[in-house]
Amino acid sequence: MAELGVGRPTKRRPGAAVGGLPVAESRPALDGEAVLGSRCTACRYPAAQRGIPWCPACYGPVADARFAVTGTAWSSTVVAIPVGTRRPPFGLAYLDLDDGPRVLVHLAEAAVVPIGTRLRITGTDGGDLVAAVAP
Amino acid sequence: MIPAMLWGVGMSAYGLQPDRRVEALCWDAIGGAVRDAGISPGDIDAIVVGSVFGPPGVATRVQRGIGIPGVPMWTVENACASGTSAFHEAVEAVRHGRFGCVLVLGVDQMSTLFSGAIVPEATDPEGAASLPLPGLYALAAQRYVQEFGVTPEQLAAVAVKNKRNGLDNPLAQLRASAPTVQEVLGSRVIAEPLTMLQCCPTSDGAGAVIVGAERGVAGDLLVEASAMVSGALWDHRSADVWGFASVARAAEQAFAQAGRSPAEIDVLEVHDAFTIGEIVTCEALGLAPRGKGAELAPSGHTARDGLQPVNPSGGLLSRGHPLGGTGPAQLAEIAWQLRGQAGPRQVARHRVGLVETMGGGAAGMDGNACVVAILSVPD
Repeated sequence: MAELGVGRPTKRRPGAAVGGLPVAESRPALDGEAVLGSRCTACRYPAAQRGIPWCPACYGPVADARFAVTGTAWSSTVVAIPVGTRRPPFGLAYLDLDDGPRVLVHLAEAAVVPIGTRLRITGTDGGDLVAAVAP
Repeated sequence: MIPAMLWGVGMSAYGLQPDRRVEALCWDAIGGAVRDAGISPGDIDAIVVGSVFGPPGVATRVQRGIGIPGVPMWTVENACASGTSAFHEAVEAVRHGRFGCVLVLGVDQMSTLFSGAIVPEATDPEGAASLPLPGLYALAAQRYVQEFGVTPEQLAAVAVKNKRNGLDNPLAQLRASAPTVQEVLGSRVIAEPLTMLQCCPTSDGAGAVIVGAERGVAGDLLVEASAMVSGALWDHRSADVWGFASVARAAEQAFAQAGRSPAEIDVLEVHDAFTIGEIVTCEALGLAPRGKGAELAPSGHTARDGLQPVNPSGGLLSRGHPLGGTGPAQLAEIAWQLRGQAGPRQVARHRVGLVETMGGGAAGMDGNACVVAILSVPD
């Protein structure tokens, strides 16, 4: 009997990258020099998502927003196992954008950085935000 | 409000069992729980199932093998807290007089879901960006390393404690011996600073609990509290690491319901999918202040012979984490501990126990759900 699950992901909707059907894009979008999202017009809460019906923090009205690509690292790690189509090692960080939301970024260099390190999103890689230590 | 009691528990073996039907795992657990409760299957008024990956229809395929036709039955998905959420549903139903006897079933079979690389949820903004769950926990661990000076040895101590406890658990994944701190730290790096032995193994398992009203049977345990919360925004404003706030939220409600403080809990089964998970959870439950949770295992406070044993069963690090199956397994251990039936795993003080499970997997929220339950030996 063939080994169960070998050769194909048996999980429902694993995404196109690993051979499943594509799903709608949910990752934050980079538009040139800005990360796209929403901001509450009442309390200024920044969100990395669009299309939400109201501000999730105060229920006020939201508007489309563009966020700075710079910010500070809240934490980081280096992943040492393959994940989907990513091959190790690859660095990840939670980046708190200046006056903006916390977003997950891939690090240009696969290395842990000190909390508070200034990072700049330099582009995307296969749809993932990529950031490097800002000079 | 009618007091809810735990009448019985049952578990399948927990471990890699890809050749077993998921229904068969459930039948093992249900058979055990019904016998433990001393009831007949026809006494069951409702069935609540907790499962993440099911598959859809698993509840009814299980029902085909046990009878109990036509009763209200539904499946709850709350990520890792699915099984405990099903328990919470049963407790609340009994408390409000909706049913007199409820079968709770938690199950997941992880071994047949994927092979090779982890495939995170593609519809999740961070899953789609290749953040695996160990990576999410590693980000929290790294934060604790830098912010509080948590050492690799302190992280490893949780795995050493739990895997040693697990040696005495015949239903957990059996090993010849438990690893040392050095062996834990020397195991393959998964995501800095977490190594392989700091991550729960892949597992399949089903657990069942019978919940009912008071019936005056010795061995029944009082559900003093059961609290279920969903997540809240976890973002640039959050003061704590991911995995803290939802546990604290549920714990606050549970302790208030029971009229107890954390210090009164004799024994705990908590969500140690990763070593840092037990550390953060113990802080959120109030066993240690923020930043000091990493001292609990090394100091012996949470050892099986310590003041407040945590995960005497060996926890998820020994059993693995068959998502929906974890909650009932934790409840089963607490039931056996409170009754004095835990054999080689028995802790010395066992009047009041606590179960906590917290599920994640949705970006930007401090947990999908968390359930905290407090049980005790009735007076």
